[in-house]
Amino acid sequence: MIRNVTRTIALGTFALVVVLGAQGEARAQDARAPYPNMAPLDQYLADRNSEIALARSAAPESISRDAEVLVLGRHGYETAVKGKNGWVCVVERSWMAPFDDPEFLNPDQRVPLCLNPPAARTHLPLTFKTTELAMAGQSKTQMFDSIKAAYDKKELPLPEPGAMCYMMSKQQYFSRKAGNADPHLMFWFPQKDRMNWGADFPGSPVDVHQYSPQPITEFDISVSKWSDGTAAPTDQH
Amino acid sequence: MNREIVNAIALRRLALVVVLGMAWQAQARDAKAPYPSMAPIEQYLMDRNAEIALARSAAPDSISRDAEVMVLGRHGYETAVQGKNGFVCVVERGWMNLFDNPEFWSPKVRGPICFNPPAARTVLPITYLRTKLVLAGKSKAEIKERMKAAIEKKELPVLETGAMSYMMSKQSYLTDNPVTYDGAHNLAHLMFYTPLMDSAVWGANMPKSPVYLNPQFEGQPEPIDVFMVLTGTWSDGTPAPLS
Repeated sequence: MIRNVTRTIALGTFALVVVLGAQGEARAQDARAPYPNMAPLDQYLADRNSEIALARSAAPESISRDAEVLVLGRHGYETAVKGKNGWVCVVERSWMAPFDDPEFLNPDQRVPLCLNPPAARTHLPLTFKTTELAMAGQSKTQMFDSIKAAYDKKELPLPEPGAMCYMMSKQQYFSRKAGNADPHLMFWFPQKDRMNWGADFPGSPVDVHQYSPQPITEFDISVSKWSDGTAAPTDQH
Repeated sequence: MNREIVNAIALRRLALVVVLGMAWQAQARDAKAPYPSMAPIEQYLMDRNAEIALARSAAPDSISRDAEVMVLGRHGYETAVQGKNGFVCVVERGWMNLFDNPEFWSPKVRGPICFNPPAARTVLPITYLRTKLVLAGKSKAEIKERMKAAIEKKELPVLETGAMSYMMSKQSYLTDNPVTYDGAHNLAHLMFYTPLMDSAVWGANMPKSPVYLNPQFEGQPEPIDVFMVLTGTWSDGTPAPLS
């Protein structure tokens, strides 16, 4: 009993430290990040047709030509092209990066994704919510708290089994340092599943990202070609 | 038959040819099956230490060194090395192919594979049961019927979400016919297991897609789809062919 109480207190303390630490970290990031605030909205927007083409470039044309395409407008994402195959292609902005990513709020970042049907149902609500918060001018700390609250209240869904997306656009842009990185697939799971894919072990082709406060585990697998079939540089693969 | 269906069938066939089914289809055209029945059991067995090393070669050492390792004995798979990380590495034989694969009884097939924990719990039992039936001398038809019955009676576990495996061994031998431009009998890849579904949900076998549907189970009778993604490197870190 005493051991259980001690353990409970320890876990509670640990959880408090984690939460406070995460908030503190977010605030600390606010102070030192190169993009501490939203840039003017226009810097995040793109020409509509260019954005449609960029969104579709996330997956091979055989998939993206029948996908729904979303574009970012002044009031959030809107449907630009109706889809037929259940996939949804969208260009995410830097507010979808992890909160501790220095590129968070970088107005130049353009990350096209084509989400399969399970991901469209369960990842896109996060994209919409985060975009809404960013465009409402919330600070990073406020966004962090709002996203956490949304998951705590189950207002945002956890990833469905099989939720994945293609990120194979040669035109994707993460940052000056990372450029267009590499073509890859992403798979999402609830963190509570404690999924073990052997990720991040030396020699493993699988990378993992544990998001916070989103209770989501993301696995990335590099592939050898861009969506247009051209080979990706081998040093990036 | 409308144009979309024709296209879908053509695309699917193309993808199968590109992947491991190439050898299978080529051989299916042969009038005489190359391996009509089970060979003597000795031809399927290996030196124990060689089998341990081969099993481990399915995944990078950082994963397989702490994995449980199973080896094939005369009565089925047995634990050769206890594991610590929940992964299980094993060398599968030809009878883990589709039942109508002409190399089903090939004694040359060696498929090293390291299963992650969900796959070890819910896919590996298929390997154990098929192997047990093979070693009991059952015919292919009897094995298929028994597997079907095991599924219907829920004797096999339900597939867990996130089940996947590594097949990155340079030394594996999956089929007699070369499957890469440089003549290898293998492709370094990862496999992902899902319940039976429309493979288009993962964009598999679509032109220029990096995801392929592997014709291993496909509900015949095991109710599992297997998707493959090529890794471009063998488990030892050296480059592997991607086409």
